[in-house]
Amino acid sequence: MQQYSVVGKPIPRVDGSLKATGEAKFTVDIALPGMLYGKILRSPYPHAKILSIDTSKAEALPGVKAVITGKDTGEVRFSFIDTPRYPADQCPLAIDKVRFIGEEVAAVAAVSEDTAQEALGLIEVEYEELPAVFDPEEAMKDGAPRIHDKITPTTTTAWEDFGVTREARPYDAVNNISNQVLITVGDAEQGFKESDHIRQNRFVIPTTSHIALEPHGALASFDSAGKLNVWLSHMGYEHKRYWLAKTLGIPISKVRVNKTYVGGAFGGKISLFPYELLAAFLSKKTGRPVKIILSRSEVLSTCHTSRRFIVDVKTGVKRDGTIMAQHIKIIDDAGAYRSSSPTALYLAHVFRHAIYNIPNVRHEGVGVYTNKLFTGPKRGHSLQQISFAVESQLDMIAEELGIDPLELRLKNLRKKGDILPNGDRLDSYGLPECLRLAAESSGWKQKWGKQPNRGMGIGTGGMFSGGHNYPFGSAAFVKLNPDGRFTLFTGQTEFGGGVDTVMAQIAAEELGLTIDDIVVVSGDSELCPYDIGNWLSGGVYVSGQAVRRAAADAKQQLLAYATEALETKIDQLEINNGRIYVKANPDKAVSLSDMYKYGIQMRGGDPILGKGYTKAVQDVGFWGGSFKGTAALSQGRGRFTDAYGLAAAIAEVEVDKETGKVKVLHIVVADDCGTDINPLNVEGQLESQAAMAIGDVLFEEVVIEEGRVINPTLGDYKIPGALDIPKLTTISVQDYEPKGPFGAKEVGETARGAVIPAIANAICNAIGGRIYSLPMTPDKILKAMKDEKG
Amino acid sequence: MKQLIQLTVNGELHEVRVEPWKTLLEVIRDDIGLTSPKEACSTGECSACTVLLNGKPVNSCLVLAVEAQSKDILTIEGLSQGSKLHPLQDAFIRHGAIQCGFCTPGMLLSAKALLDENPQPTEEEIREAISGNLCRCTGYNKIVEAILEVAQSQ
Repeated sequence: MQQYSVVGKPIPRVDGSLKATGEAKFTVDIALPGMLYGKILRSPYPHAKILSIDTSKAEALPGVKAVITGKDTGEVRFSFIDTPRYPADQCPLAIDKVRFIGEEVAAVAAVSEDTAQEALGLIEVEYEELPAVFDPEEAMKDGAPRIHDKITPTTTTAWEDFGVTREARPYDAVNNISNQVLITVGDAEQGFKESDHIRQNRFVIPTTSHIALEPHGALASFDSAGKLNVWLSHMGYEHKRYWLAKTLGIPISKVRVNKTYVGGAFGGKISLFPYELLAAFLSKKTGRPVKIILSRSEVLSTCHTSRRFIVDVKTGVKRDGTIMAQHIKIIDDAGAYRSSSPTALYLAHVFRHAIYNIPNVRHEGVGVYTNKLFTGPKRGHSLQQISFAVESQLDMIAEELGIDPLELRLKNLRKKGDILPNGDRLDSYGLPECLRLAAESSGWKQKWGKQPNRGMGIGTGGMFSGGHNYPFGSAAFVKLNPDGRFTLFTGQTEFGGGVDTVMAQIAAEELGLTIDDIVVVSGDSELCPYDIGNWLSGGVYVSGQAVRRAAADAKQQLLAYATEALETKIDQLEINNGRIYVKANPDKAVSLSDMYKYGIQMRGGDPILGKGYTKAVQDVGFWGGSFKGTAALSQGRGRFTDAYGLAAAIAEVEVDKETGKVKVLHIVVADDCGTDINPLNVEGQLESQAAMAIGDVLFEEVVIEEGRVINPTLGDYKIPGALDIPKLTTISVQDYEPKGPFGAKEVGETARGAVIPAIANAICNAIGGRIYSLPMTPDKILKAMKDEKG
Repeated sequence: MKQLIQLTVNGELHEVRVEPWKTLLEVIRDDIGLTSPKEACSTGECSACTVLLNGKPVNSCLVLAVEAQSKDILTIEGLSQGSKLHPLQDAFIRHGAIQCGFCTPGMLLSAKALLDENPQPTEEEIREAISGNLCRCTGYNKIVEAILEVAQSQ
């Protein structure tokens, strides 16, 4: 592998000292002169008509500056997904009725939080309760309460705004069906006929919360010239400012998303939230800045949680373990709004189609409206749900066939260079090595099935490095400063993963500088060019490539100046350590600072500005009426991603058979993220996902009863603490991805989807029984042991 | 209704008029203007709001400001000496013990309180000491390694 001087080094993060000293400012820390505090009145009913809202008493309370209802915000709809087929279904404030407990009904801005809170209690809302439905299978039956009337778009949809010329159709959610997907590969029925052994099971995966430590919040400030400044806790500004502009009816150029540090996100801050819109509406109405910070219980009970799946898996295999066919049917219990369901259901297929070579697949999914908190993306976005189901069943099949679960997996893996059914190509594919190294490190061969009360389990995961959907791309600028250092402008948002550091490393490497020579300006929609943000783990692969190209562009400009200044041909020159020199005579040199001056003095005032850009999937595009390289997501056709991140995990656990309590002893995560741009960050991402997966398997669930979240505090919703974490071994399998910047690709999401089934399988291995749902609480473990004994 | 109280924060004396129901967290953040203690749950379950009160870690969201009258309060703004970082701050940065940074202030102060009381803790004692400080990003092991390194180098 090529040797780099900045890339591949475990460089401490560039925002480390700011965060260690308390200087880093998060949205919750920002205050503006004259700032008001906003609070939101929420529905106490899961399903009810709003008959009237009387805000007069609240408005009369001293210190209250504005009260708004759906009449003020209007019937402009927004959603994470907004396509001609599936138009947006959510409004900033409920208009005619409420569809879940916690839905936004009215909002107040006042001089203090206490006053705003008091005002909420003075708003009188008259409701007429409607029958509610909470179970997705009940919701699909004829005669079930209807949650959404026919949705007729009042504006163009996002996809039309992005260039697809296809008129939005009204959406009629018959039987509460929000969306559907059907992907077929080969002939599943024929595949089952050719199988020697078929197994069918149902798995249930609950909804969990992201629990980013920083609660959701927004500060919005309209100025008298009509410009909206916002400070948000988010994962990328393009989506946020698009929707803010559209719902507020102002030009997108008049919306500035300012840089903030973001206290964790994990998919939980990706879409636009009503509180963000409401802060902006209230600021517009009052002419003053308005800040809305949600309480933890508001976050846990009103901001999207992970998607709730019921998964039926039928798999057919040959006697030797070769998988012949798989039929997957997912019921996605979407909750009150569709949010990411159409994407999630297709991702549930495509995140894993790079893992095993299954010739015949039928993948069906249906999103269903219910009167509950709606669900959305969370780290891995469907991967963890589907991985739990499929990998659990593979262990059962291995046992029935008498095959080592490791061998069963190795036997069915794809190969490097494979072209997937949709046309994606596996130019990098380190998964076999991941499995081999994880097995070696964990002592699989020596330990599996040989330790009383202990169990071992395996899991695998796959993930995109950015996706095909518009506007999935990135641009970056670099500018040379008088001292020979560069300022980098990238639209990436630093929400903990370390993008500011990694982007600086990429720019420094390309320019032959050190990381200290790069000043990063990120996450500011006014200063930075177009960038979707770190979605679908495209941060390094997509935006990193844009940064590299911006740096390369500047480098070419520098070399062009140097050919004149040094009177030497370009191919004779080298750039390194802030100098450009003649290879044969390194003393003949100019500094980058010299070239800044040269540009101004001799090149008509050009001080060197580099530009770079790319998009996640080069083969995909649409313009006018035509599509290039893509088709309907709901049929899984077209190109999805240019590089797959892959991971394998092995977990070892001990189960107390008296109490059902699990102790995780060791987790090995082997991940193929291409080149490690920063090994410290890669380890951090992998350990983070392993820790999160412990919570997923052992205790996390947002419990909803009759539409109400009954555990909306960190006391009742437990996440892993320092005492829950075992030895974590991370292995980076760096299969060079030729299309990525310096060979890098995804790292932040795959591993969670591998560790969850690894721990789950380890528990089942330890107890000799099977558990079909998460989390695997002691009562479920004891029951499974009892069932096994019969 | 408001009471005048004196708080010594990071060695500096502050006189503030506060309502008796205001928490120490609110007063440090809103009145004194130090934003490192973070509010992430407001119910004492995450410890992002940890400050040291006379050297002991407390959840400042559960302490009333009036209870801190005349007591010494430390936030991480007072941990470094000018531009020279405290060894724990430095170790956290080098070990990758910081990601999003939102739990970091509380985590650093819990670690400092531990090392002040028990300069040579075992790994288990470190985990115990920070067990109330929730972190969703790092998986904790790098935090434990950072604290262990500082303990061993003392």
